[in-house]
Amino acid sequence: MASTKAARIGEDVWKTRVDKVNAELVTLTYGTIVAQLCADFDADYAEVNRQLDKMGYNIGVRLIEDFLAKSGTAACANFRETAEMIAKVGFKMFLNITPPITNWSGDNKQFSLIFDENPLADFVELPDDGRAQDELWFSNILCGVIRGALEMVQLQVEAHFVSDVLRGNDTTEMRISLIRIIDDEMPPDDE
Amino acid sequence: MVVYAFYIFDRHTECIYSKKWPPPVAASTAKPRPQSTSSAATNGESAQPLTRRTNQKSDDEKLVFGVVFSLRNMCRNLGGEDNFFMNFRTNEYKLHYFETLTRLKFVMLTDTRTGNLRAALHQIWLNLYIEYVVKNPLSPAEHPGGMGVANELFERGLESFVREVLSAPS
Amino acid sequence: MSYYFAIIGTKDNPLFEHEFGTSRQGGDGVARFREDARHMNQFIVHSSLDIVEEVQWGGGQMYLKHVDSFRNSHVFSFITGGNVKFMLLVAPDTHNASRASSASTARSSTYGQVSTYNPTAPSTEEPIRNFFIEVYDAWLKTIMSPFYQVNMPVKSPVFRGRVAGAAKKYL
Repeated sequence: MASTKAARIGEDVWKTRVDKVNAELVTLTYGTIVAQLCADFDADYAEVNRQLDKMGYNIGVRLIEDFLAKSGTAACANFRETAEMIAKVGFKMFLNITPPITNWSGDNKQFSLIFDENPLADFVELPDDGRAQDELWFSNILCGVIRGALEMVQLQVEAHFVSDVLRGNDTTEMRISLIRIIDDEMPPDDE
Repeated sequence: MVVYAFYIFDRHTECIYSKKWPPPVAASTAKPRPQSTSSAATNGESAQPLTRRTNQKSDDEKLVFGVVFSLRNMCRNLGGEDNFFMNFRTNEYKLHYFETLTRLKFVMLTDTRTGNLRAALHQIWLNLYIEYVVKNPLSPAEHPGGMGVANELFERGLESFVREVLSAPS
Repeated sequence: MSYYFAIIGTKDNPLFEHEFGTSRQGGDGVARFREDARHMNQFIVHSSLDIVEEVQWGGGQMYLKHVDSFRNSHVFSFITGGNVKFMLLVAPDTHNASRASSASTARSSTYGQVSTYNPTAPSTEEPIRNFFIEVYDAWLKTIMSPFYQVNMPVKSPVFRGRVAGAAKKYL
């Protein structure tokens, strides 16, 4: 039930409330950023991954407000609902994709998103220096976005890619794990 | 209606924005806001309690936060997670409250005759805060240490929203 | 027939090379340049660049068709908006003896054409146009990769695969 509802919201928001831009503009802009980071950090791909994650985090903490405002959704009752929201409303709204959710862990605290299509990675071929294929997570910015966005709604998560078609894997899979629910902060005691 | 003050608190319980409007003066002295003077004659006295301590700005912020925070938690404890309060009034003023899922808290103090302003606070979040503060890449994502939302577009937007929409003579 | 395909960058630097044979009329897609003539291909293509530069401003077309011939080799060219030149050298087979005999009937008809190979006939120009257009499509996708820089040699196996695919399909 929640799943079809989320899909409907995503569809609706995408159609009526989202400004569209040329997909190639996004692809080329993002690709240029990653390529420039690779150049700036002398192909230290672990560092590039970290930088991308950090950039994503800064996007996520802002994007969540826009997401909440445009989707008008209420708080999720559980992490499963959150996953539906991310996949069917969030990704639909900002990238027009709805990655399927799979591989739930037994305690409902971990799941995977499978990216059958990834607008960020169109045209991309990783540098053939023998390391990029094993070290660079090209779309790592998405992990940061999810981490930042969820932190703003009191969910501390860890997100990372476990496979990527750019590396020659069969699928592109992101693993998201709930670490804890952040308690409301209390005001500091006055005198 | 008359707006006395407006506050935004973030999820770190920090007051990231506060603004007070000079209380309309009943007599024919200074008129800082012509639009609101129409109702000033009847409401001039009700502004008094708030103005006594205007020099202690951060104290006001702490008090306001304390009261909405306690009230909010009380509502959640009594009525469950989805229960929230929208406003309360004293004999002097009315406090309106709106909170986002990201724990941003919007508070507005007005005179007692004002209706429910939850929708208006929602508008401020949607059309002013998100558009001018969140989407401004040069503005910090969080505003620690009370640095606050120093953003002219937001400031201007809020000013005209309060003046033209909220304070319009009804 | 044997083909030698090269992509030349804006500074007359080679970016990509690929050799293949015809897949038409029972061809097996393997280039059969004579060993002693093989190295000549690069020279022939290179010398044709001058002619390409002469005609490139003429018609406003990307496909420049047949631009040059040298002995038994014919050079076709296609120029992209970014001044990258696709050069295709076509060498009709001349050494029948090295061919396998199994497909001799099909071959003999091929050779019939070869002797009268006409580089400006529509039946020659059209498949090459289609080949160029398909390669151009693949080329665009390849240079859109953020890790590709202008005038950098193309090493992508994906691109090579697409060129080979286009060759098989049209030539």
